[in-house]
Amino acid sequence: MVALVFRNLLKHPIRSLLTIGSLTIAIFLLCFLRSVVTTLEAGIASADSRRLWVQSAVSLFVDLPTAYQAKIDAVPGVERTCKWQWFGGYYKEPSNFFAQFAVDPDELITIWPEVEVVAGSKEAFANQRNSCMVGEELAQEFGWKVGDQVPIIGALFPRPDGSAYMFDVAAIYRPTRATVDSRTFFFHWKFHAESQEAITGSAPNVGVFVIKVAQDADPTSVMATVDGLFENGPQVVQTTTEAEFNRQFVSMVGNVPKLLSFIGGGVFIAILLACVNTMLMAGREQVRDVGIMKALGFTDGSTFGLLIGQSLALCGLGGGFGILIALGAQVPIATLLGRFFPGFRILPETIFLAIGVTIAVGLLAGIVPGRSASRMRAVDALRRQ
Amino acid sequence: MSDAMIQVRAVTKSYQRGGETLRVLDGLDLDMEEGHFYALMGPSGSGKTTLLNMVGGLDRPDSGDVFVAGEHLSELRGADLSNWRADNVGFVFQGFNLLTVLSAQKNVELPLTLAPLSRAQRREQAAFALELVGMADRASHRPGQLSGGQEQRVAIARAIATDPKVILADEPTGDLDRASADQILQLLQRLNQEFKKTILMVTHDPAAAEYAQRIVHLDKGRLERLEEKGAP
Repeated sequence: MVALVFRNLLKHPIRSLLTIGSLTIAIFLLCFLRSVVTTLEAGIASADSRRLWVQSAVSLFVDLPTAYQAKIDAVPGVERTCKWQWFGGYYKEPSNFFAQFAVDPDELITIWPEVEVVAGSKEAFANQRNSCMVGEELAQEFGWKVGDQVPIIGALFPRPDGSAYMFDVAAIYRPTRATVDSRTFFFHWKFHAESQEAITGSAPNVGVFVIKVAQDADPTSVMATVDGLFENGPQVVQTTTEAEFNRQFVSMVGNVPKLLSFIGGGVFIAILLACVNTMLMAGREQVRDVGIMKALGFTDGSTFGLLIGQSLALCGLGGGFGILIALGAQVPIATLLGRFFPGFRILPETIFLAIGVTIAVGLLAGIVPGRSASRMRAVDALRRQ
Repeated sequence: MSDAMIQVRAVTKSYQRGGETLRVLDGLDLDMEEGHFYALMGPSGSGKTTLLNMVGGLDRPDSGDVFVAGEHLSELRGADLSNWRADNVGFVFQGFNLLTVLSAQKNVELPLTLAPLSRAQRREQAAFALELVGMADRASHRPGQLSGGQEQRVAIARAIATDPKVILADEPTGDLDRASADQILQLLQRLNQEFKKTILMVTHDPAAAEYAQRIVHLDKGRLERLEEKGAP
């Protein structure tokens, strides 16, 4: 019976290969899209519950006065605060884009214990005003070493003559958690502030403040106090947990998980239709064979099983290849998309989902021809030849 | 009740065709003894193939009873009927009806997958059947690589592989030239004489019917006459 299932698939090799190919691509896409969602969710879930983010209540794109930092520092339960300013520059060419942030180095190092320095030192980064600390992947990508000078051209904060800001690489970090980006470039807030003051004549504002809440303090109470502190302006703030901040950041480009789920659903329906079509054709072509088998003594159930088996074998091959390709491509994809989805990986749950979808498509595609075969009388089937 | 291998009692069967009711079998009574070779003849529409299908459990009468190998077929349903067919009946069709995706060997093994046999036993039994019909050297060939006569011999090997009590042949030589037809008929005759198989063969060909011991003549769904040929 198993031999018959595979021989029937080989009867139309091109059709079978095309169906298997479409299933392979679809299941690969399903694994990939689902992994993007789980990676985003993991980033949100792994957020530090004692880190709070203070941003403008209007928008993330509205800056806050630097003077807010001292007031936030004075709130009971706040252990430290760190300025966090998106710089938006690039290295030599606009295509060499990665995240750069102007921060308070001492605070950054304390607030983010998951950042481990693997070359250079935290002290060197903290002590030298024009220094930077870069992620290991970023350093590998551009071949940077400790002591190298790195030119960064400002896009949001350009120099009047278009020249680059020069930074010395003082430290290279490696995240101890996969969901922390290993391609970020940190430099001194003071360097940024002085540069901008020299260019514009006024001190710049800050995009976001990050708070480290003391162990014995209640983060909810700290959030309420900080928000209450600036209720009357000049900028009303919104303080959120890191998880909520991450969620809002992701949703800035729309509801990504929902969008990806819609695409995944579309892929599922498309492959289901393709497989149903293939199996309906196979069912029609095998009417005579079904009649012969019934005349030989095969039961209605076994002819149903033959068609379902063919459908499952077809989908199993396609789905299996799709899963194998997804697993094989996991590392290259993680490298390629690491800047957008740090910690990208295919979870076992995603593999189980792909297996489940493969089986579901196989069963659904085989049911109609299978039922038709099981209900067909042998004499009618043999008469149709 | 007699101890005949096949007993047909007051069987009627009608079909609806173009709004008309076509009575194919009309109160047919017939007994066929074990170990005999019967030819079933009659004009088109006389009910030959319908009767053959009923004896094989592929079709049911509107009324009346069919007993084969001591089993009242009307009382068997679904899987029981399929299992009974697998154990007791071997079919040979006019169009050979081999599965084109399987080799001759695998075609013959197919009904054996329903029996409680190991793979080695199935292979051995199929090889024996192919040897018997003179097709052992073509075991690995697919139906498309065989002539019509060879295909029919493989189909006969498949029909006898499970050692059924009854072989039902529907125009087995209809698609063959005279020489091939004679070989097939000799083979059926041999199965009847050497292995005591009860054979019921539908044919339009009087020359083919000559190989049988008895010829059942049907007309308008009734038994017209039973012709005794005597031992060949």
